Amino acid sequence: MKSRRPNLFIPALIGGAVAGALSSIPLFNCLCCIWIIGGAMLAAFLLVKDSPDVLSAGDGAIVGILTGIIAAVVHSFIDIPLWPFVRGFFQNMMKWVAEYTEETPSGWEDWFGGELSAFRFFLELMASAVFFSILGALGGIMGISLFGKKTQHKIQGASDASQNAGHRQS
Amino acid sequence: MKKKALFLYSFTLVGIVIWLGLIFLTPYLKSRSPESNIFLYALFSPLCHQIPSRSFFIFNYPLAVCARCLGIYFGFFAGAGLFPFVRRFSNLTLPKTRTLIFFTFPVALDFIGNLFRLFRSSNGLRFSTGFIWGALLPFYFIPGMVDFLSKLKTRKASSDAKMLSK
Repeated sequence: MKSRRPNLFIPALIGGAVAGALSSIPLFNCLCCIWIIGGAMLAAFLLVKDSPDVLSAGDGAIVGILTGIIAAVVHSFIDIPLWPFVRGFFQNMMKWVAEYTEETPSGWEDWFGGELSAFRFFLELMASAVFFSILGALGGIMGISLFGKKTQHKIQGASDASQNAGHRQS
Repeated sequence: MKKKALFLYSFTLVGIVIWLGLIFLTPYLKSRSPESNIFLYALFSPLCHQIPSRSFFIFNYPLAVCARCLGIYFGFFAGAGLFPFVRRFSNLTLPKTRTLIFFTFPVALDFIGNLFRLFRSSNGLRFSTGFIWGALLPFYFIPGMVDFLSKLKTRKASSDAKMLSK
């Protein structure tokens, strides 16, 4: 019987939009990279829900990479309107920290003072696309491990345990 | 499969060493030339909030990522170092769900406690809980990526076969 190939794009779009948005918003973004892993886990969950087949960790990695790329685009575009607010938030925070700290590094007032230039935007977009896709792959694999249907660990032609890469221990 | 796993393992290990090197290089370069080092901090900014009060300082400047993120990356490095001894390349199964819960519990508790102001963690504690969680991640990443590479190869082979049959 021919198995239906699951649609990866819709789960990746939902997971990427959620992860990209939450990782950009001040206060929420204090969870750092965990939002991207969480978004990819959400995408893996949606993928498992839609797919009648047993999915392997490789499927999770694929949907996770897609989620990471979408999250990077969403993150970068949300950053543009939020940048003045983010900058003000961190500058105020640094002033507050300086009141309670004996030694602060020189020039700290300017750390968040730069404008969001086209170069910085492009650099952050490229960097986040690469890093988010790695983290997304990790989240997708973890998502399949958590939500995936259990298998009997037999891959076509498998002769030993080394053929069982990426399947959860039962 | 074992060869593929070894290649991916080496690639991961080299990658995490370079990654940690860049995290420490950033404040060093900033201390050498405070004006010209926006590049590396900007490179890490999508991944971490980089709040100085939550980061370790060296060379009088904060590291490129916060203490918790640094813990996760060091944990990943330690986990990757232990991988061949704990898992071996012939057993590429993913960890059990209860293992994930066990390793995630400290970092989740630390985060929730700080979020609801139940307690205030030091950077050392943030680093430690991040380290514990990070140590588990290679046990997902390496088997998962080996499976991913196998899938890519299979897809390529099937599309090549289709092309030939046409």
